[in-house]
Amino acid sequence: MESLGELERAVMDQLWSGSAALSATELRDALADRGLALTTVHTVLTRLEGKGFVRHDDARPRRFAAVASREEHAAGLMHEVLGQAADRQAVLARFIGSASPDEAAVLRALLADTP
Amino acid sequence: MLPLTALLLGLLAVALAWPVPAVLARAGWTRRDPVAALVCWQAVGLAGGLSIIGALLVHGLSPWGGSLPEAWWAWARHWFTGAQPAGPVRGDHWVAQTLAAVLALELLGVLVLALVRTARTRARHRALLELLVDDVSGVDARVLESPVPAAFCIPGARPLLVLSSGMVAELDPAELAAVVAHERAHLAERHHLLLMPFVAWREALPVLPAADRAHDAVRDLVEMRADDVALRAVPGPAGRRTLAKAIVAAAEGGAPQGALAAGGGVLTARVTRLLEPPAELPRWARPAAIGAAITLVAAPTLLLVLPAVV
Repeated sequence: MESLGELERAVMDQLWSGSAALSATELRDALADRGLALTTVHTVLTRLEGKGFVRHDDARPRRFAAVASREEHAAGLMHEVLGQAADRQAVLARFIGSASPDEAAVLRALLADTP
Repeated sequence: MLPLTALLLGLLAVALAWPVPAVLARAGWTRRDPVAALVCWQAVGLAGGLSIIGALLVHGLSPWGGSLPEAWWAWARHWFTGAQPAGPVRGDHWVAQTLAAVLALELLGVLVLALVRTARTRARHRALLELLVDDVSGVDARVLESPVPAAFCIPGARPLLVLSSGMVAELDPAELAAVVAHERAHLAERHHLLLMPFVAWREALPVLPAADRAHDAVRDLVEMRADDVALRAVPGPAGRRTLAKAIVAAAEGGAPQGALAAGGGVLTARVTRLLEPPAELPRWARPAAIGAAITLVAAPTLLLVLPAVV
């Protein structure tokens, strides 16, 4: 039995790889090698909708699409990680480039001066 | 006579609101022993809160009794039995009581809010990362597609360590190992918990320069501490240089705008202490600093629970 997390990834990979929105039945067929029940696909889709990764239209049957592309999500997350919000270091300890050009020059000089 | 206790607590509060944090933030020894310095900062935060709230409380309740436990009991009873206080209750007593309650609620409330908000943000980041990135064997971390060099970790019961693909491309394997060790040190020593109260209290007390100073000092000290721990994974003088190079490489690759330059020179401080390690503090220094920290917290606590001094 696969974990819900893995199934969520499999479904998102399907939605991200195709351009068109997919119905639950189409998703089940696309993931046929996993042998999923339709209810399982619905459960996974509901969870993904709850997390804000998927939305559906009002057609019958409903078709599901990714809210944003993988790249957009990655860029959004990096934007948050690099952001200046005061609590950032408390939310996630980060190791990033945060030097002004002047400080970067000082850092380079420090490295060059010591053998 | 309560006012002497209130006066002593008040003096302590004033000292902890300005001169003590100013001296500690400027002290040079903190870079040589970040652990002792972090203990001192936690003590300053705790003792500062205790003494200011305690001073207000003791003064506010002074008509009811000679020591805080006694006065508190008499004050609580007076609401039920209507028993009258020994001395006259003036306006300033009510003001002090109210301020004490407001301040205590604000400090605790802001801390709880910050914890809740942080937990939510972390859960969102985690959900996103679990969909976006693969476990990469060998690197001991997940890799997120992004050209900006960055490494970060999400603390929690199931911590998550993430490297950007830009970071992986920018650094050689030894440097990468140093960065991963640095981030793992943050996770292993729960540095986010040391920083959290100072994040919350800076938000709660924007008018207090000491709150800013304390936050920045603690933020920089946990980085230095993580550097020290990371050196165990990349030992020797070569290891120090490797970690320094990783810091510089990350700093050069990022920083697309001036807004990111808010590090306040901590990168320079970190690289300097890696390349030219300062002499170790004498053996007595760490016990002395920790002893001072314990005294700092014990003083207001004793003033509050022991009967009035005079």
